[in-house]
Amino acid sequence: MVNLHVNSRNVDLDIKPHRTLADVLRTEMGLIGVRVSCSEGECGSCTVLVDGRPCTSCLMLVNQGEGKSIVTIEGIGTPDDLDPVQEAFIEEQGFQCAFCTPGFILTAKAFLAENPNPTHDEVSVAMSGNICRCGAYPYIVRSVMRAAAKLREFA
Amino acid sequence: MEVAKRSFDVIGKGVHVKDAREKVTGSLKYAVDMTVQNMAHGKILRCPHPHAKIARIDTRKAEELPGVLGVLTHEDVPQNDWESAWFNYRGKVLDGIGRFVGDDVAAVAAVSSDIAEKAVELIEVEYEPLPHVFDMELARRQDAPTIRVEGNERPPYAVKWGDLQKGEEEAEIIVDCDISYMSQQYAPLGRNACIAEWMSDRVTVWTSSQTPSELRDGIHEALGIPLSKIRVMALPCGSSFGQWWSNNFMLITVLLAKKIRQPAKIELTNEECMSTVKRRHLERTRGRMGCTRDGRITLAEFDHLIDNGGYGFKDDVGFFCVDMWGKAKNGNYAIHGINTNLLTAGCMRGVGDCTLGASVERVADRLAEKVGMDPVEFRILNQITAGDELRMQHSRDNMKGNRDAYIEGIPPHLRKDWPELFCLSSGGTRAILERGASAFRWKDRWKGWAVPHAVDGSLHRGVGVGTGAHVCGVEFEGSSSAVVRINPDGSAKVHCSVGRQGQGSETTQSQVAAEELGLPFEMIEIETGDTDSCPWNHGSLASSTMYRTGWATRAAANDARRQLLEIASREFFDNADIDELDITDGEVHPRAEPKSNRRYSFREVLNELRSETLGQTSSITGRPSVPMPPSTTFARQFGAQFAEVEVDIETGQVKIIDFLAVQDSGTVVNPQVLKNQVIGGAICGSGFALYEHLVFDGETGAIKNANLLDYKLLRCADFPWQAEVLFEEAPDPVGPFGARGAGESPIAATMQSASGLIFP
Repeated sequence: MVNLHVNSRNVDLDIKPHRTLADVLRTEMGLIGVRVSCSEGECGSCTVLVDGRPCTSCLMLVNQGEGKSIVTIEGIGTPDDLDPVQEAFIEEQGFQCAFCTPGFILTAKAFLAENPNPTHDEVSVAMSGNICRCGAYPYIVRSVMRAAAKLREFA
Repeated sequence: MEVAKRSFDVIGKGVHVKDAREKVTGSLKYAVDMTVQNMAHGKILRCPHPHAKIARIDTRKAEELPGVLGVLTHEDVPQNDWESAWFNYRGKVLDGIGRFVGDDVAAVAAVSSDIAEKAVELIEVEYEPLPHVFDMELARRQDAPTIRVEGNERPPYAVKWGDLQKGEEEAEIIVDCDISYMSQQYAPLGRNACIAEWMSDRVTVWTSSQTPSELRDGIHEALGIPLSKIRVMALPCGSSFGQWWSNNFMLITVLLAKKIRQPAKIELTNEECMSTVKRRHLERTRGRMGCTRDGRITLAEFDHLIDNGGYGFKDDVGFFCVDMWGKAKNGNYAIHGINTNLLTAGCMRGVGDCTLGASVERVADRLAEKVGMDPVEFRILNQITAGDELRMQHSRDNMKGNRDAYIEGIPPHLRKDWPELFCLSSGGTRAILERGASAFRWKDRWKGWAVPHAVDGSLHRGVGVGTGAHVCGVEFEGSSSAVVRINPDGSAKVHCSVGRQGQGSETTQSQVAAEELGLPFEMIEIETGDTDSCPWNHGSLASSTMYRTGWATRAAANDARRQLLEIASREFFDNADIDELDITDGEVHPRAEPKSNRRYSFREVLNELRSETLGQTSSITGRPSVPMPPSTTFARQFGAQFAEVEVDIETGQVKIIDFLAVQDSGTVVNPQVLKNQVIGGAICGSGFALYEHLVFDGETGAIKNANLLDYKLLRCADFPWQAEVLFEEAPDPVGPFGARGAGESPIAATMQSASGLIFP
């Protein structure tokens, strides 16, 4: 039995502990916003927040997530109630196919929590752990800058 | 079909893409996210040899593994050839021969993917190795191993104009080239999966595809079952760039599900996506160009090879560069498609533009250097302008009858609206080059050939320019259609089978329908994936979606609008001529009195229809009723791009410092969608120019870097966030509201802008 704390809820899962966190979140909990692409920690699509830090969940075994607070894209906003970072990505269209977008948004959220007033260059470097194959990078940077402004306004 | 209206209600407006909320909340479903009840999991056994015949295959041990539901081999497969769009695949689903390392050999279905993976290893195959060839030059030779029954080389695809001898005599300077290109991988972040479910003799298929109709056609060809028994439900793709059209693993899934009499899903790993589906061709250009001392091109001769890998069957890579350098007086271009025992090659975004087109740009720049001309001015002098004759032969070869016969076949009342065939209908590179040069301050920043404009130790900075052109869709495989339905509540739904690979077509097609109907954008919904509700459509390839499907969507909306106005006229406006009526914000009113109180909503009009006992229908269905002109004969899209690049002359590292793109896609339907398309193309093109290439094993031809660690993609900080996109909007006489295509000219322009200033 594995116990996880995901998106403010506790769940007990009767699963083998050698499975990856990404696989369990997707297939056992239906959190399809955890996108899995490279399965080797390169692309960042499967990023989730673990105790507030962005982690590639494809490289974590599920038991490494026990006792920690895990947040997926589903945990920060819904289509009817978006997070400011999600709103900013829509307004600047910081995506095309959007397979990578949940990973970028969660990475941005963690980054902005520590750097509420970044420069464009800082954002550009901070977003370089994730891959966007469609090449929306300039609009991703602008999305994160807009999100920073929104979050400062709310703060 | 008038040239662009002066102002629009929805066209040109930066409405947010329709699926934006799903995308930022992670709730959009791609094929990998899809499941159906009682679904088995499939895995494919892959060929370990570059070329081998299966002498014996024994599946018993695999079948005996608990949890295995069935094994599919070539012995189960109908031996029909099927074709993917534009000859990106031609062959049988499985035929007992492996033509590259990673080729499909057999497939297993099991209750879990872990078991399927184990079972694949239990299949015993005795391979009889066959001679192989990786080099396309060697594959052309008489004594080369035969890879395909049709022979390894396609007949050359050629276009010739003017008088080559005269061109050579008039040339005062001639530059030769021999340029080879490595192979780019689509590197699709979203991967792909396919699910097939049979209900007696009917099959439903869910997969991520840019070309739902073509996939249905492929299943029909491979299995020999009627089209009416095949339903494709295409889902959004991750980044695709032409990878996810109709692919052999989808057909394997269909046959596997049939064999086990249970729904089956095959989900590809990232490694499989990068090493078993397709890639950009390896290409080689040999040629020369000549010009006069005052910079006028008199001669352009190019001979270009493309390797099709195992199953590609292309004989051309859409050499739109021959049209772009339209003022070149004499020319001869030939393309040869050659099969090798490497991974299948197919159309990747900007096919031919990033290779042959880039070669022509590179040679042109050397000519400009030799005559001492600015590369911007050299392009303006030699590139096409609206009204000039197009060179491309494809459209001439594929048209039935000659031009006059074609025009006679057009209904007389439409003839005046049809464009002049074989001449550029609108746009060109002059306006985008001039606009870009001014905005980029080109004159200040360009210091002459091979002269950096700034030097800091080993860091040299310079600026480069590049141009690209592409068709706006093709018509040779069939004309794209669309249906627009007006519902009883006054909302409308567009049905058109286009792709959703992030290029925003669900949004831009809806904008076209909203504009034509006079209905608010929010009242429009769209179905793109279901071939049971959408008419045949070429899909989102060859930059078709806005030009050709947009034309069909507008025509369908226009037909629905006409029907609506006829009912309104009869029921509310005393049988007034429908030309005397207009629609604003979803309400019909007299055209001459836009503020009139005599206004009837779509819902009111439709309700009249409903209450009429003799009414034939309670909704309206609009469809295109006239054929679209063959767009390859007149329409092109253009990009001009300017880059500032920093080269460390000691390490060879290249960085793009500043970037400006100017795009001419005719009327802009959605500015932010188009900007994203342009920048996305530029980043993919920069990747190809600077970093991206597949590494093939010398012994086996296997791909050695089929993963995102070893295959280098640009990341956020590798491309300037300041990059800007400007538009020139020369309206097209045929395109919907003056719009043209957009997908491929942006990547076409990047090769030379990002790397053209670097030369020996």
